[in-house]
Amino acid sequence: MASDPLRTKLCDMLGIEFPVIAFTHCKDVAVSVINSGGFAVLGEAMHTPDDIAADIKWIRDRVDGKPFGIDLVLPSSVPPADTLQQLESKNPESHRKFAEEIKKKYDVPDPKGAIDLHSWGGLNQQMARAQLDVLLEERVPVIASGLGNPGFFLETAHERGIKVFGLVGKARQAKRQLDAGVDAVIAQGYDAAGHTGAIGTFSIVAEVAAMAGDTPIIAAGGVTTGRHLAAALCLGASGVWTGTLWLASRESDVDMIVKERLLAATAEETSYGDSISGMTMRVLDCPWTQEWAKPEAPPALPPPYQMLLSSDYIQGSNDNRREDLMTEAAGQGVGFVTAMKPARQILFDMVEEALAAFEERVGELA
Amino acid sequence: MEQLKTTTSTARPGFDANVAGKRAECDGGHAIAGTRYAGRQEFAGTLSGEYVDHGDPVWRWYLLVELTQKPDGYQQDSVWCESGNLFIVREERG
Repeated sequence: MASDPLRTKLCDMLGIEFPVIAFTHCKDVAVSVINSGGFAVLGEAMHTPDDIAADIKWIRDRVDGKPFGIDLVLPSSVPPADTLQQLESKNPESHRKFAEEIKKKYDVPDPKGAIDLHSWGGLNQQMARAQLDVLLEERVPVIASGLGNPGFFLETAHERGIKVFGLVGKARQAKRQLDAGVDAVIAQGYDAAGHTGAIGTFSIVAEVAAMAGDTPIIAAGGVTTGRHLAAALCLGASGVWTGTLWLASRESDVDMIVKERLLAATAEETSYGDSISGMTMRVLDCPWTQEWAKPEAPPALPPPYQMLLSSDYIQGSNDNRREDLMTEAAGQGVGFVTAMKPARQILFDMVEEALAAFEERVGELA
Repeated sequence: MEQLKTTTSTARPGFDANVAGKRAECDGGHAIAGTRYAGRQEFAGTLSGEYVDHGDPVWRWYLLVELTQKPDGYQQDSVWCESGNLFIVREERG
C-alpha cells in the first residue's frame, strides 16, 4: 500500500491535498472546502451568464490561485418548444384537481411572489451554450458537465488550459466520454441526490473504473463518510464527488429548517420518484411526494408539465418556511449527516475516518 | 485576453443524409425549469437526418422521430438529441 492511500492521481492532477470534491450551490461552502485542501465544484446551471462570471470572480478573489470547478447541466434532449401558456393549457384537469386537493389537505400557503418558473426563460440549447461560453472565456480551472456529453468543447477547453469532467450514469456514456478525452469521469450511482441513473454506486464505479485506463474516475452517489471514501478508492476511483454532505454545513445557504430536516433524516426518508418534475429524482420525503406515491394518485406528467403543478406547492412551502412541507434533493447517505459542522471540519473528519478504515484493514491483513 | 473564439451565433440547421433513417437511442435529459434539479430521459427512434448546430465549437443536435421509446406521458412525437448522447443501434440482419 502507498504510504498515503488518499494521495491519488486526481490529487496530482488538481494539485489538491485530499481526493474529495464538494458539489455545492453555495459559494461559501466551495471556498471553505478549497481552502481546506479539498476541491469544490459550484453548480451554476440555473444562473445567467453574467451571474456565472460574477461568481467566478468571487471565488477567485478568495482561493489564492487554487483550482475550482463550475458545473453546468448541458441538456442532452430537448422537446420541440412550447410557450408557458401552451404548456399550462395541456395539463389535464384531473392532475390540476389532485394538486389542489393536496394544497387544501395540507394547508399549503400561496407563494409570496411570482413563481420562479414563470419568469425563467428555460434552459434550451442557446442558453446552455451562452453559459458554457462564459466558462471558456473565463478559463475556469475545471468545467464539470453534470448531464450532457462535453465532448464537443473538449478541444477548445484544453487549448485554454481547462480540464473537463463528465458525469455519467451508464457505462456506454463513460466510454463515449473517455474516447473523447475527458480529463475525469464522475460515475454516479442510484444512491445520489437529484437526477441519477438506475445503476447502484458500487456497480457503476467499478465498471467505469475498469475501462478508464489512466483517466481518474470519481465516485458519486451516497458518498458521505470516510468509509465511503475508502471504499470508493478500493473500487478503483481516484476521488469522490459529494453533495448531500455539505447541505447542512455551517456555511451552507440552505434554509435552517431544511438543514434540521436533513440532520434528522434517514436513508429511508428520501424518495426516488417523478412527482416533483416528471423526471425521477431523489429528494427528502414530503407530503407532495407521499401523496403522489399513493395508488389513487394519477401518474406524474412528463416535464415540464409536472413542474407546473408542483411549483406552486414548492414555492409556497419555501416562501412561508413550512417545515412540514419543504423538501430538498438529498442522497441516501443523508443518514450520516448528523451534525451542523463547518465545511472544513466535515472534510477533515472524512479524511481521518478514511485513513482509519485503511489502517484497520491493513492491520487485519498484517 | 485573446479574442474569444467561442460564439453563441444563431442556430444553423442542416441535413445529414448519412444518419437519416438510422435507428438510435438517446441518453437524454435536461435541467428542470425553476429548480436546481435536472433529470434523465431515455428515448429511442429514428433519426430524420435534420440537425441544428449551435455556436463554435459546433454543438450538434439531431432530430429523433418515430419514437419507439419515450418517457411515460411524453406528448411529442419527436425530440432533439445532442449528438454526444446519441447511440446508433446496430440493425439486426435477417
